[in-house]
Amino acid sequence: MTKRVLGMKETDSSFQALQAIMEKGLADSSVALSAMSTGGMRLQKPVVHMLPLDQVPGIAGGPARVVVAVYVGMKGDLSGHLMLLFQREAALRVVEMLMDLPPGSLPDLDEVGRSALAEVGNICCSACLSALANRTGLVILPTPPVVVTDMAGAILESVVTHLYLNGDESLVVETKFNEEVPGYFLLLPDQQSLGKLVAVVGTKP
Amino acid sequence: MRMQIAVAGLGELVSGNRPDQVLVCYGLGSCVGLALHDPVARVGVLAHVVLPDSRLGRGVPDRPGKFADTAVPAAIEEAVRLGAVPARLVARIVGGARMLPVAGIPGMLDIGDRNVEAVQAALARAGIRLIGQDTGGTYGRTVHFFVGTGRLMVSTVGRGEREL
Repeated sequence: MTKRVLGMKETDSSFQALQAIMEKGLADSSVALSAMSTGGMRLQKPVVHMLPLDQVPGIAGGPARVVVAVYVGMKGDLSGHLMLLFQREAALRVVEMLMDLPPGSLPDLDEVGRSALAEVGNICCSACLSALANRTGLVILPTPPVVVTDMAGAILESVVTHLYLNGDESLVVETKFNEEVPGYFLLLPDQQSLGKLVAVVGTKP
Repeated sequence: MRMQIAVAGLGELVSGNRPDQVLVCYGLGSCVGLALHDPVARVGVLAHVVLPDSRLGRGVPDRPGKFADTAVPAAIEEAVRLGAVPARLVARIVGGARMLPVAGIPGMLDIGDRNVEAVQAALARAGIRLIGQDTGGTYGRTVHFFVGTGRLMVSTVGRGEREL
């Protein structure tokens, strides 16, 4: 069975165009993140899925799993949500990579760690939004990043609830940092915005 | 005794009338966990309410547990089906938090508050007594509701566990 999102199938050219845009965005993120870390940081080529909203709170190890999320809202021509999500251990590892520390040296996420993650989220979200804007000509404005540590279900529910108001599915982008640390990047445009996006990427070569 | 766990995902409703059953909502954020219990018949129902009003449902048929106004009657009906008496039912509600302190996205900030208010209003309309409430704040909650004893535990990340 082919998964559908708001009339779009994963085999559609518009979906593939979106996937290519996200790949470009994360590749640009790798360059920017490597520039700020000594050891270099590379994001794996992402796997993009369409997921029913009901299933979104279960990604990243289930709804009860403690995760660290960097949230950025989208305004302008597109509205919706962007989120970078790590399981707690993975979040610590990303901060260690950025600070060139050996694995396991950070016991907990402190203020410095949180702002480092906010910056990672900022870079990834901005790069993906730039990739989207370059490809579509749409003007998309990110809100300042917010870092939250809590149960995955509780954090994801809040954006899913908002999206339920006009849709049933969303775009989930899965990637890995330096091929070892899994992270999830969610691009969650509301239905109107996704319609706009599909229309633009579907027509522009 | 080995406990049987039934999990209510988004918009779902789970129930039980056996003493070894535990009803669970994992990671409630802006959603509300609505627990109904008949202490005599030892029947429990737990709904994972996502939105305040079924009119937000865009006209497509949906699970009754998803909206506050449909979840309350559906939960009562389910409790009665398992042998509960409506007059004996008591309610507890958990969740309705404000997880992401982000302004500028309409309808985003106060959805938890609206869920809590809508569940309270629907309970009042149905004449069900609300005996406990752990709602609001900026953090997630997990609910374990023991059908046999009616015990309801709320756990959090970094804020401990408490009985409601």
